Amino acid sequence: MALKIADEPVTGDVGVHSQHAAVLHAVKHAAHLLPSQGPITVFVHHNTLHAFEDLDFEKGVEAGGRLYACHAYLTEEKYRQMLSRGRIRVADLEAVLIDDLADEAALFVALFGTRYALRLAMMQFPFLTGPDEELRWMIAETDALRRFRPEVEPSIRDQMINETRKWVLRDLQENTTARKPAIDVVGDVWEQFDRRSIESWSDQAWETLVLNFLWRVCERGVRLAYEQLPLREAQQESRRHRDALMRVTGEDADILVHDVLIPFCAAYVDQGFADWELPDRHDGFYASFLQLYGNSFASPTRWMGKLHGEARRLLDSGQGPLESIEESLGLLGVNQTERDEFIAQSLLALRGWAGMIWQLETEAEWAPWPVPEGCLIEYLAIRLILDRLAVAQVAQEAIGFNGPLSDLRAEAARHARMQASNPSDGRVFPVFHLAQVRGWKPEDLQHLSQEHWVTLVREINEFSALERRRVFHLAFERKYRNEILDAVIAHAKSRRADPVGDPKPTRKSTVPDYQIVCCIDDREESFRRHLEECDPRCETFGVAGFFGTAMYYKGVADAHFKPLCPVAVKPLHYVVEEPLFSMQADADFRAGARRRLGHATHQAHYRSRTFLGGVITTLAGSLAAFPLVARILFPRLTARIRRWAGGMVRPPMTQLRLERLDPEPGQSNGQLGYSIDEMANIVEGVLLAIGLKGRWSRLVAFLGHGSSSLNNPHESAYNCGACSGSRGGPNARAFAQMANDFRVRTRLAQRGLTIPEDTVFVGGYHDTATDSVTFADLDRLPVSHRNDFLRLSATIAEVRARNAHERCRRFVSARLDLSPLDALRHVEGRAEDLSQARPEYNHATNALCLVGRREWSRGLFLDRRAFMSSYDPSQDDIRGTILEGILRPVIPVCAGISLEYYFSTVDVEGYGCGSKLPHNITSLVGVMSGAASDLKPGLSAQMTEIHEALRILFLVETTPEVIARIIRENEQISRLVDGNWVQLAVFDADTSTIHRYVDGEFVKHEPESHELPQVASSFDWYRGRRDNLGVAEISSS
Amino acid sequence: MNLDTAFFMLGLTVVISPSALLAMMGASSLVGLPLSERWLARFTQAAVALGLVGSLGILFLMLVTDQRNVPVELGNWVLIPEQHFQFHLKFIFDRLSVPFAILTFVLCGTIGAFTSRYLHREAGYGRFFLFYALFLLGMTVATLAGTIETLFLGWELVGLSSALLVAYFHERPNPVRNGQRVWTVYRIADAAFLIAAISLHHLTGAGDFEALMGSGPWPEGVASISSSHALSVGLLLLLAAAGKSALIPFSGWLPRAMEGPTPSSAVFYGSLSVHLGAYLLLRVSPILEASLLLSLAVVALGLASAVFGSMAARVQVDIKSALAFASLTQVGIIVAEIGCGLRYIPLIHIIGHACLRTLQFLRAPTLLQDYHSMENAIGARLTRPPSLWVRLVPDRARTWLYRISMERGFLDTILDEYVVKPFLALFRWSDRMERRWTDLLSGGESRESDEAKLHPASPEEFL
Repeated sequence: MALKIADEPVTGDVGVHSQHAAVLHAVKHAAHLLPSQGPITVFVHHNTLHAFEDLDFEKGVEAGGRLYACHAYLTEEKYRQMLSRGRIRVADLEAVLIDDLADEAALFVALFGTRYALRLAMMQFPFLTGPDEELRWMIAETDALRRFRPEVEPSIRDQMINETRKWVLRDLQENTTARKPAIDVVGDVWEQFDRRSIESWSDQAWETLVLNFLWRVCERGVRLAYEQLPLREAQQESRRHRDALMRVTGEDADILVHDVLIPFCAAYVDQGFADWELPDRHDGFYASFLQLYGNSFASPTRWMGKLHGEARRLLDSGQGPLESIEESLGLLGVNQTERDEFIAQSLLALRGWAGMIWQLETEAEWAPWPVPEGCLIEYLAIRLILDRLAVAQVAQEAIGFNGPLSDLRAEAARHARMQASNPSDGRVFPVFHLAQVRGWKPEDLQHLSQEHWVTLVREINEFSALERRRVFHLAFERKYRNEILDAVIAHAKSRRADPVGDPKPTRKSTVPDYQIVCCIDDREESFRRHLEECDPRCETFGVAGFFGTAMYYKGVADAHFKPLCPVAVKPLHYVVEEPLFSMQADADFRAGARRRLGHATHQAHYRSRTFLGGVITTLAGSLAAFPLVARILFPRLTARIRRWAGGMVRPPMTQLRLERLDPEPGQSNGQLGYSIDEMANIVEGVLLAIGLKGRWSRLVAFLGHGSSSLNNPHESAYNCGACSGSRGGPNARAFAQMANDFRVRTRLAQRGLTIPEDTVFVGGYHDTATDSVTFADLDRLPVSHRNDFLRLSATIAEVRARNAHERCRRFVSARLDLSPLDALRHVEGRAEDLSQARPEYNHATNALCLVGRREWSRGLFLDRRAFMSSYDPSQDDIRGTILEGILRPVIPVCAGISLEYYFSTVDVEGYGCGSKLPHNITSLVGVMSGAASDLKPGLSAQMTEIHEALRILFLVETTPEVIARIIRENEQISRLVDGNWVQLAVFDADTSTIHRYVDGEFVKHEPESHELPQVASSFDWYRGRRDNLGVAEISSS
Repeated sequence: MNLDTAFFMLGLTVVISPSALLAMMGASSLVGLPLSERWLARFTQAAVALGLVGSLGILFLMLVTDQRNVPVELGNWVLIPEQHFQFHLKFIFDRLSVPFAILTFVLCGTIGAFTSRYLHREAGYGRFFLFYALFLLGMTVATLAGTIETLFLGWELVGLSSALLVAYFHERPNPVRNGQRVWTVYRIADAAFLIAAISLHHLTGAGDFEALMGSGPWPEGVASISSSHALSVGLLLLLAAAGKSALIPFSGWLPRAMEGPTPSSAVFYGSLSVHLGAYLLLRVSPILEASLLLSLAVVALGLASAVFGSMAARVQVDIKSALAFASLTQVGIIVAEIGCGLRYIPLIHIIGHACLRTLQFLRAPTLLQDYHSMENAIGARLTRPPSLWVRLVPDRARTWLYRISMERGFLDTILDEYVVKPFLALFRWSDRMERRWTDLLSGGESRESDEAKLHPASPEEFL
């Protein structure tokens, strides 16, 4: 290498190389900050602030909020609403504040009381904030200076009035020595009152006087304080030229840039929607952009002309993207020290699109139109070219700046207007309000020195809105956490003392009539609860919904394999569904019919948008009026007709190709499926994990789940998270078939896990939107077990209606007095309704994850807020190997769901994807809001509207030692748990004690209450209620 | 009850029901008692059903009695004899207006039912339905108008409600920007329309279509004005139609209008509003027939828009823009058909196109699922063989065409650069002159608004 470039100036070349490396490094680093959601068809819940997981939660949300200009917590107003509705109690605020302040709680703030008391008052009582104009209006036009605030306690109010009256009559009326300083402060206010009739003043008049005095004193004090305090804390300045210009001129150079960049990005990442492919797409982002903008004719406007000239120049000079980035940075005057940050900010300016490019480049090799490596660099090169052209144009038009762009930021700063230098009324209000609620009398305040005022104002400023929201958030979490932990303790105690229902610990040997294994999903909590309520003789389990069966799966009517396992797992095995061997001919015929229909639909789909095809389709378009009206006015009927018509081409009965013939797994014919040993491993793993051993029912049902809906680009997000956003039915079906296989059972028996001969497994699928349950391979059910199955399906029929009924309480459009059957019809209708923006509420309200035996949680009403994973510590070894296997996927997956909901809830426009209503599917990879916008990752307002932003609480049945080891040895778990992105507690079922994991220590939880409300059934508890419900004990299960 | 009374009553029902709906919604929010979602939906359904029944009744009676032209007079509302001006409220039910009115009610009814669920729990629910009622009334009035001033009234209401619905999500900047753009284009169209209407008044002494079109029910009327007058008035009306139907050179607003909730995009830009320009041309078709030049201009504009639309539709990668340009293509063809002297075919085309496009728009969010199920049915990725002319056109020209289509024909950019900018420059110059003058008079800074801060400071709102 050194020899090769010997002729050239070595240092220069090395310099260029290292500079390129620096740019590459900066881009890679910034890419990490981009949204990590890939194409929307594979929606995986993940922590929106994944990039900040190295930090502690509180630091992370602040840093993330600052970077993305998003909210870190809910708004203060929302928390205050919760406070007034009792979702947060004052006791929680007190406890959290004491905890938060630790030793500083008792610190005295000048003469104003303890820091704790001040902060509590600031939390408890809202004070007005807003633009100065609004506050000035408040003073002039409202009762702010005539009446005490409503939350001021009457005793404080009376005392203040009385004391002030005394003071006024004593000091101000008479010509005493104390009069002079007081008059200096409040003199002009005093002048405005009619003092002659002071003896006969009403209380009203006194109140007004007190408040006016108070305002005047506070105003003076705050002014004194700001003589020594900085008016505005130094804000982190954005480095982009566009922001500097925007601050000065209000003109947004990004509008120009995005008008070009958004359509081009969309065209570049298009996965096959547009009829015409982007020319020269295969040359890469950078080259095809330059070709498109540099090669076509000169453009009609100045901006377009400039762009054309620049693209032409770059094409002619043959500059690559990295050189171009260097050049742009140089022209913009970005120096080495700020380079990384500048690049990050430039990429984040359109973070949805940049993130999608990065995702397609790195994670989506399966995409039909993949994006080559290095695309994000090329994107940045183009972005910077556009940025500098647009900035130059705006600068010239708005402030007549024609100099080199490297001077632009300095020039813009010169243009920036001076900030107003008076402490505004806005800063007086908090003090004024605090004085009222804390009962600070004007008489006392007027004597305070400047230092005192400085201390007070600084104290108030330090407890900023962000800090208050943080404390509110902690208090909110505390309320829910204590409620749940208390309930679990009380419930476990009461069950031990008075074991009602099945299975009783004393009758542990008695076998439940049947066992049902569901996904750990929070939506299955109510399903399982209703099963146990309907039929107390059944037992339910929860396990990650791919049932250990990681596979690429292709259904009989599917075109492609799709992974059915958590995203972190890369499946090795391929499974296909095929028609029964005897029905092959029929199946082929139907497949042919489907193919012809598919082609016809496809033709109609895109021809209707063309010239001639459009004429033909639209002349006959009146026929579309029938499906249009029918589908919207009669969705359920239409769906039934469509199903009936679809039945003619639906594939006939099928089976899974599960057993592999060749030694190595793969996609070709003989390589499909698993070997018997692999099957045995899968079955053993799952059965051990859920602790199903020794107590076998005759029938064990496994239910995968998914969700059906129409007009829903986010459909994948509603499906099973453990199946990469697909439906988990095939996994349950495959698992049941494996577990029924006698060869598998033989092998398991050899390993000491004997499944009795009369235990039969069935696989099924639960649709969480319509609450339908379908079972697979029923023809293989032994005749001896038909009655067991009929009993099971009768229970499920009842449970479906009950579950639908409980879900309907959340849908405002469903009346509260629906019967269970009507509720079932209602939820079925939702999934088939084109106009339904909320087919179901998905994971909204999730807040809890229980890992342990069902015994101690059975009969608890958890309001569909809990993920529940079964685990029996008595069957685990001392190190907790099984538990580790469970938690390794469960903690990251549940944390991902919880945190994605958290962030999309606290800032639905910034972190989430905003309202669903104007969504516009683009390039088949994501949604924009309206005609053209950044790509919107995250969850929509309709998905999160009933969610409560909480960090998930894991409650694991194990010992502190075991969990400490698991945290220590699993980096991913440790990041989440030690970084406080999730909450964790361990439960000891024998002693009914709970230890919370707080900053690496285990702290025993002391229950606040030992009573749990008891009701006969879930229905009795939720009846007539739409909001979040507390925990109750259901006696019928 | 004789036949005339029956016609009158039915006609009145058709017009009154949307007016009553608008009045009720407007009044309830005006007095601070906003209606609940359920009642809004019910009232809307009732109004649409009533209107639909009324128009179907009229259709039935017209078929039975073989009457082809049924006027419903509501008298002169403004009468200034000295100025030869009257505001004459009159509605006609004929072969053109009745199918169009029925289409309006069917589509609006469907969209209303759709929206009542789609917008559930939305803060702007009432606002949407207020605009919806405004739109419904505008459409009904414009469709059934018997005089040009009545048509203008409906035309304005439709324009207003459309622009407001584009800007429905007014908390984000883009919808507002685009809503304003739509509104601006509409104003230009309105201005042209207004001038045309006044010219017609001058030429014929009244805005009555009957007086204007001479004898005979639609489409057999014969214009009673000279060919050159027809050309000048017709060109103005063509300009108005072009603005409303997003024909060249105004096409740029159509994809930008996709900012509102999906159903409003469907009803306004996919189906009804976008056809209003074509409807206007159909209504004044006798004028077209009076001037060959005018007809040629109509055909040319229609075809140009259709070609442009189909090209632009091919490069769009988002579903709503693709559908918007597909709509434009068909509207262009419809306009061209009208220019060719066809009457019933464009009407059928409008109705078919409106229904199909509405369905497609409402299903737009299903695109991914549709692609998925088509792929599954076919058993492979969806591919299309490159169409013939793509294979024939050389590379360089294709890049060219792609660029033009992608930039949407540069229509917006050209309008901005060569119409809007000079216009703004002129007004800014006037503003500067005025400021100088007032500064001189007041002897110092005379504008308080200069002091206003650009961005109200709110350091703690974020985070």
